Amino acid sequence: MIDETKLFAWLDGELDAAEAAEVEAEVAADPRLVRMAEQHRAFGAGLRGAFNTVAAAPVPDRLAAAVKPTREPVVDFGARLRGRSERGGWMPLPQWAAMAATLVLGIGLGTTLIGERGASPVDIRGGKMIAAAGLDQALDKQLASAGAAGDVRVGLTFRDQAGTICRSFTGERSSGLACRDGGDWQVRGLFAAPEGQSGDYRMAAGADPNLAALIDSTIAGEAFDAGQEKTARDAGWR
Amino acid sequence: MNLPQSFEDELTALLPRLRRFAHSLSRSPADADDLTQMTIERALRARAQWQPGTQLDRWLYKIMRNQWIDTVRSRGRKERFEAPPDEAEALGHDPRDGVEAAIDLKRVMAAMERLPGEQREVLALILIEGFGYREAAELLDLPIGTVSSRLVRGRTALLALVGE
Repeated sequence: MIDETKLFAWLDGELDAAEAAEVEAEVAADPRLVRMAEQHRAFGAGLRGAFNTVAAAPVPDRLAAAVKPTREPVVDFGARLRGRSERGGWMPLPQWAAMAATLVLGIGLGTTLIGERGASPVDIRGGKMIAAAGLDQALDKQLASAGAAGDVRVGLTFRDQAGTICRSFTGERSSGLACRDGGDWQVRGLFAAPEGQSGDYRMAAGADPNLAALIDSTIAGEAFDAGQEKTARDAGWR
Repeated sequence: MNLPQSFEDELTALLPRLRRFAHSLSRSPADADDLTQMTIERALRARAQWQPGTQLDRWLYKIMRNQWIDTVRSRGRKERFEAPPDEAEALGHDPRDGVEAAIDLKRVMAAMERLPGEQREVLALILIEGFGYREAAELLDLPIGTVSSRLVRGRTALLALVGE
């Protein structure tokens, strides 16, 4: 006589072939066991069916939203651009430019992002935020392995899912991510340094949780090592 | 080329399964979604502890199970997580005949709620989530024999309760 433990293990596919054959033969010879096995099979299927209605139902918005990073980025340009193109229109440039100007003012309090007073580290061109001045130079030339040479430190270099090269950077009061766009660096996200951390530009690029999340959602494969970074620079970041 | 998904994307993809597991542990759908939310928040805070390359689903199930135990304990409910042995026996006899294949979620959640937590989590992982005995034992950090005996008691009791 087989016990329930063995019968269930058989029903659950937990027995090896020899044991399973044994149980199967024993069950087949006993109508009471046949009935019990059928009952539990049907019950298991019913149970899974009942709970599968939960898995098949749409996930409530509040749960889907809970997965997003808790601190909203100051400006996630990628998301804004995606959002806008989904709606099929563009925000009029003046409003867009004003917003970016405010942002740059915000990060430049007292000192500019790059340290070249008067030179904005970003330009707005065609509704895109493009790295300029010292930021553009740092992204173009600076190798992460060389450490911070000016006020900008370049962190990770990697390709996004479209194969475009992206580089994260950290300035004195902000950090962000820029990706190659033609001959320019399009800034995809720029995040103000948390209170109390301004001035600590040696903070590793990517330490900001928002930047880390943006990198996470952008990167395809691994970040470049020093050799790959140098090769990519010498090839013009193509 | 291997395109790795972000942590958030993988977590989002697992939400339907996490909700299902939460429903099998909780007494109501509202509690289940609260449990899911707590699990998400906890997982995001602890994401540095997850080792990429290991199974994210199991890591999340463990977090959910711990959150659930904490919640049940802090709620100070009368029923205890561990089953008194006699109650387990009392629940475990006389399964009725004729349990129809289509079982209503509300009814089965109410029946699950009447099982001791230690049996409920084993049933949830093995019968509903489809884990093997060994996987469930590892996830719950229990000997496989304990998992197997709780499965026998809980399964028989639940069949009787749903058949009522």
